[in-house]
Amino acid sequence: MGTMNRVVFSARGVGKSYPGVQALSGVDLDGRAGEVLAICGANGAGKSTFARLLAGQEPPSAGEIRVAGHPEPVADPAEADRAGILLMHQEPLVVDDFTVAENVWLYRLRSGRDIRPWSLARRGDDDATRQALRDVGLGDVAPTRLAGSLAPGQRQMLALARARVTPHQVLILDETTASTTEEHFADVQEMVAAEKAAGTAVVFVSHRMPEVFALSDRIAVLRGGRLVDVLRTAGTDAAEVTALMIGEGVRALERPPAHRAEGRAPALAVRGLHAGSATDVSFDVRGGEVVGIYGLVGSGRSSVARSVSGQQQPRAGTVEVGGRAVTMRSPGAALRHGVVHLTEDRRREGFVGEFTNAENLSLVTLPRLATAGVVRRRDERSRVTELIERFQVKGGPETPTRALSGGNQQKVCLAKWLAADPDVIVLDEPTKGIDVGARLNIYEIIHGLSQQDRAVLVVTSEAEEALLLCHRVLVLRDGRLVAEFDAAEASTEDLMRAALGGAAALGSDAAQGGDAA
Amino acid sequence: MTVTEKTVSAAPSEPAAWAGRGLGWLRTQYPLLILLVLVVLAAVLSDAFLSTRNLENLVLQMSVIGIVALAQFIVVVSGGIDISVGSVLGLACVLSAGLFGGASTGLAVLVALGTGALLGAVNGFLVAFRGLEPFIVTLGMLALARGLVYAYTEGVPVRPADPAFTLVGTATVLGVPVLGVIWVAVALGMAFLLRRTVFGRRVYAVGSTPEAAHASGVPVRGTLLAVYVIAGLLVGLGGFLLASRVGAGTPTAGTLFELDAIAAVVIGGARLSGGQGRVFGAVVGTAIFGVITNLLVLLNVSTFLQDAFRGALILLAVALATIGRSPARRGR
Repeated sequence: MGTMNRVVFSARGVGKSYPGVQALSGVDLDGRAGEVLAICGANGAGKSTFARLLAGQEPPSAGEIRVAGHPEPVADPAEADRAGILLMHQEPLVVDDFTVAENVWLYRLRSGRDIRPWSLARRGDDDATRQALRDVGLGDVAPTRLAGSLAPGQRQMLALARARVTPHQVLILDETTASTTEEHFADVQEMVAAEKAAGTAVVFVSHRMPEVFALSDRIAVLRGGRLVDVLRTAGTDAAEVTALMIGEGVRALERPPAHRAEGRAPALAVRGLHAGSATDVSFDVRGGEVVGIYGLVGSGRSSVARSVSGQQQPRAGTVEVGGRAVTMRSPGAALRHGVVHLTEDRRREGFVGEFTNAENLSLVTLPRLATAGVVRRRDERSRVTELIERFQVKGGPETPTRALSGGNQQKVCLAKWLAADPDVIVLDEPTKGIDVGARLNIYEIIHGLSQQDRAVLVVTSEAEEALLLCHRVLVLRDGRLVAEFDAAEASTEDLMRAALGGAAALGSDAAQGGDAA
Repeated sequence: MTVTEKTVSAAPSEPAAWAGRGLGWLRTQYPLLILLVLVVLAAVLSDAFLSTRNLENLVLQMSVIGIVALAQFIVVVSGGIDISVGSVLGLACVLSAGLFGGASTGLAVLVALGTGALLGAVNGFLVAFRGLEPFIVTLGMLALARGLVYAYTEGVPVRPADPAFTLVGTATVLGVPVLGVIWVAVALGMAFLLRRTVFGRRVYAVGSTPEAAHASGVPVRGTLLAVYVIAGLLVGLGGFLLASRVGAGTPTAGTLFELDAIAAVVIGGARLSGGQGRVFGAVVGTAIFGVITNLLVLLNVSTFLQDAFRGALILLAVALATIGRSPARRGR
């Protein structure tokens, strides 16, 4: 036990300031061998900043971070690399045009460790590569396949496979599980266990309580750039950690009373829909109702959402909006029918990268704010200001949306659609990568829509969220609608069992994730 | 000294805040600073530079390339690039001078605009609806249009019959060449189109993040097609103006204009990957090029060295552009 608790890295008085922002100050924290240290905090609490400093991506403005067996404090990426610190980013860094095997060995290219031109090409279907892939639950993926063809969850696991072949003594998982879904988490858990056994100091940056408690030995809570407390995981619970994260004024997530428009024609009626892996899916969503679609990766849940909102063309089936059959050839056409779609892929499809909040907020409704194609700037301005206030977006109209936190970006994405006053709102993973506070905001917005008799369809991979947010939950498995639950009476276990099909093997389902779209 | 600076930034009293904003604006306007320095340098180095005759000449030289740079600008903002502008301009130039024997100037203008719009539409269709790379599409168009120019002219300049043909290219209003007035008008029109209209906003959105634009209901393909047609119209207009100024459609008209146009756009601060840039920058970029060329001619620098100078200027300007950018933006 004595050697297990050897201190691997120690941060002393670490602070980081950016122009106008003190992101981190006076943090003292140790990481020990064979131990998982979770770093929790709301968005903006400084947890990602700490991860970046530890990985040498940026030098600290105060204090220093030292790593055992390394003479210099960590201040740049090369230094961190030599000290054996490995950072796994929130967005997996995967080279699409390389094969899976080449991606596994990618870090060998760093620091001139192995730059023989033939070394990458030689890496292919050998035992070491296959073992590394098996370790992260990608045993079924051919090492010679192009990485670009993997599903998002698989990409994340592929990035993690690098840790198996790259020597290191500190492994940082920076929100690594934020974009994976529940079924990959078992693989992450196994991998972390193997890392612990090998004596690695694992740093797990996250705000997802169930995962933090499943993985960690100690929990460091940051709030407003300061270290609030370090707790032993065994001696605390999620409520205490959440309270520390949020500080004062903790609110519990609670579901508002169900509000259903009975006896009215369904706002959205889907019949015999075939799209992506979805097969013969039929359901109704009435005005004032929040309906959830729950399923594993590859179950066709996103395909359903995309093909009822013009983002994707279904192979067969009919979609009726407000009682009329419609074909939606593009997102623009869907908008004209009063159907909008909040994307799962916020960075790519959610907002325009170079645009300010004002420009992103008015993008959808701009034709309505224009006379003969010329934008009425005063109207645009007042509309945008109103949206920013109504949805409590942090940052003004001129702030680039890209510079906001994930939660605020999501509010912008949601607000720009709701500005169009839609009847049917399709939300694909509305709280993905968002902290607790913003998550509550989004839930409130969604429940508000239900109060206004809008029809809301929510796609989610979190059973808990499905039950908390929705009135009814539909479960998809292998493209088919297999179950429907009343959220008030179902448990997360019911949902998961329906999604998995009894005690079906997790691994095979996850491996089929390639066709998720 | 640091103290004064600090008080300026810390206490945002009205004039100080205004001055701060002015400074902030200037910092983003480094091309304008380069232009001012160049003009001062030119005036010092050559007595002839500030003469009315030379200035008029300078405006004449810059106007056509300035309009082509505006065409290039809208394409670059949409995330593409058009290297066929020089050749399409050449074709518009010789056809407007040659078709119908140059009998009517009005007809010549229509021919030039029609040629530009048609070839622009072909570019736009292939880029927007067939999803081809703008570089490859316009590279093909570059060769195609130039080939047609030589086939049509058989290598000999085409002279229009209508004596009124050269009117637009040579006339002046209150001492300012009409060409220059047209250039400024086109620039103002382009600025209005891109900054004030729904279409303009969509061009920026498509150039920055096409997936997000599509998902937000923006008709991405229609927008791109329109961008290339507009660029073609402007290039066609440039073709006619050049023919009118020279008084003939020369087969080499517009050769290498694509280089000057792209360089002017980039020096003016637009980003080649799209979604960023201001019309004013493209105008200033053109002026920088015009002044340099003019100065080199006045100083009797050999034509070969002139090209080297211009190339060096592009490299310098692009390097300077990275200094103006904030580290946060670069780090992305």
